[in-house]
Amino acid sequence: MVEILEESRGKDGRRILKVARENLVALMANLKDQGFDHLSLITGVDRKDRLEVVYHIHSLKKNEYIVVKTETLDERVPSLTSLYDSANWDEREQYDLMGIIFEGHPNLKRMFLPENWAGHPLRKNYDLLKVQYINMDENGEDYATFDSGDGW
Amino acid sequence: MTEITKSKDLGNGWVELNIGPQHPSTHGVLRLKVKLDGEIIREVEPVIGYLHRNAEKICELDYYCDSLIYFDRMDYVGAMNMEVGYLEAAEKLLGIPPPERVKWIRVIMAELSRIAAHLVWAGAFGLDLGMLTPFFYCFIEREKILRVFTETCGSRQETNYMSIGGVYQDFNDKIVYDIEEFIEQFPAKLEVIFNAYVKNDIFISRNKGIGILEPEVAISYGVTGPMLRASGIDYDVRKAEPYLVYDKVNFDIPVSYKKDNLARFLVRFEEMRQSIKIIGQAIKKIPDGPYFNPKAKKSLMIRLRGEGETYARTESPKGEFGVYLVGDGGVKPYRVRVRSPSFKNLSVLPVLAKDVMIADMVAISGTIDLVFGEVDR
Amino acid sequence: MKTGDGGVLTTTLEKAMEWGRSNSLWPLTFGLACCAIEMMAIQASDLDISRFGSEIFRNSPRQSDLMIVAGTVTKKMAPRVRRLYDEMPYPKYVIAMGVCVIQGGPYNQGYSVVLGVDRVVPVDVYVPGCPPTPEALTYGIMLLQKKIRNETER
Repeated sequence: MVEILEESRGKDGRRILKVARENLVALMANLKDQGFDHLSLITGVDRKDRLEVVYHIHSLKKNEYIVVKTETLDERVPSLTSLYDSANWDEREQYDLMGIIFEGHPNLKRMFLPENWAGHPLRKNYDLLKVQYINMDENGEDYATFDSGDGW
Repeated sequence: MTEITKSKDLGNGWVELNIGPQHPSTHGVLRLKVKLDGEIIREVEPVIGYLHRNAEKICELDYYCDSLIYFDRMDYVGAMNMEVGYLEAAEKLLGIPPPERVKWIRVIMAELSRIAAHLVWAGAFGLDLGMLTPFFYCFIEREKILRVFTETCGSRQETNYMSIGGVYQDFNDKIVYDIEEFIEQFPAKLEVIFNAYVKNDIFISRNKGIGILEPEVAISYGVTGPMLRASGIDYDVRKAEPYLVYDKVNFDIPVSYKKDNLARFLVRFEEMRQSIKIIGQAIKKIPDGPYFNPKAKKSLMIRLRGEGETYARTESPKGEFGVYLVGDGGVKPYRVRVRSPSFKNLSVLPVLAKDVMIADMVAISGTIDLVFGEVDR
Repeated sequence: MKTGDGGVLTTTLEKAMEWGRSNSLWPLTFGLACCAIEMMAIQASDLDISRFGSEIFRNSPRQSDLMIVAGTVTKKMAPRVRRLYDEMPYPKYVIAMGVCVIQGGPYNQGYSVVLGVDRVVPVDVYVPGCPPTPEALTYGIMLLQKKIRNETER
């Protein structure tokens, strides 16, 4: 049995399970066996001193929703791509915008922004005043730059 | 047609082709990297982010009531549904329930908006397959819905009609009359559009049996909405977790077990018929009462404070639209996260478009019903 | 233009060319975001743009001479907008449709939106609104026609 650190209810009445990062994959595999076959959403929340990753999982048959939370201090959490296919794009998106590194992800590239974009925009300490520009190289791939003369 | 076309020979006789971002059949700014063996697609890699407008970031910089305009512009063809989705979350977080009349008004507007969104899809889907005629019929009907929206809130497409705890303006007799007139004449017109499609042999043969989506694959990829229902799974958030007053109206969920393009097409058309049914009941049952919650008057709205977290999900025209809101007790949200159905539905395209002809991929991406404001946010 | 006694029309070659050019503006199918739906609406029956000679939305930039930039231009899209503009043959015109295209619109505090498409391509007519109504866009096209014919706006 997987150890659950804390169990509570959100304002909307959904069950929230808090779990240590090491036990995440085991808990999710366990829940998937119980019928929670639909990984709805992966969210990263920047709590300033730590990063929180929130998983919304859902059982279509039982029509039940569970929120699983885990925390990380060094930006790393295990990937869930082996369990759910939808984790693939969601984790890439959270890596892009929040800077969470999902260990074991087969193709952890940025989703929206170019590969060399500096920083992760949804972090609370991201400086919006440092403007970055994007241009396209001759292969049609994008690159980011701080030089306003080289991009738009 | 393909704007940045740079084909590469990959050695084994395959060619890499770049479709988009400016392409008439990509519904906006989708870019697809396709590996072709002759005319058969072996691999597809969608590249997105060409409309990434940082909505989640700016929502954090604005008050709770201001974020609504960014939600309007997510699924820009069905803006009312996006507003309902955000307000479901925000009202729970802030503790401001809407009055009963507002709930009925919202249901009517959301369903009208769903019809408008499906009509845009139907027209654009015809254009993808080279059928120009239904497009004009679809847009004539859509204009009628937009006229109702203009009458209620002064805006056509990005309505910004609802607000926290209420709506911007109450229904008057003219609006009720307009809506009744619309739902009276629309079903006949819908059949005209429907017949223009299904009585066309080329249309049927281009869609029947193409793009089979197995239900297990759909669930694993997080596909929802009409795409999931066309794969034989009877699931709709309006029934599974009723919000607003969807539990007080009588309607059916269209399901198809054929799993292909044509099934998705038929499910969306049936949804429009069901929406008409919902509006017809709601417009009769709409009770009297205030049209906003006095706790959220316009002058008080920017002082609303939220703490804790909520996740609300609603059925948008594209599928399950979820909003996850985290508040830290301040006047601005701490984190806003959107579960956009188009994003999840697009992620299944590499599976659907494997080993099909390149022209079929256009039909498949048409039935996914992509709206890029929502995919990229 | 002057009409002679025998029903003969005399004009300069430039005038005739400008008149012809302004009445057959072929726009490029270039929908980026929300405004693209309103751009589709001007094609449709209610607000038929064919009345002004722009009936065909060309899919290829090589065949079009008007680019209606409809929708937010992100930084990632901007190089593509520029390339499409470069691929269009002269004479070419640009209409900036919507506030996002004019100055970033609601998204101008963010990190990934270009603050005005006039940083990328030269713009002839600005049509404000979020999104502009189809009537406003039609008016924008008519303004452009006047501009091509060297007429001043009254």
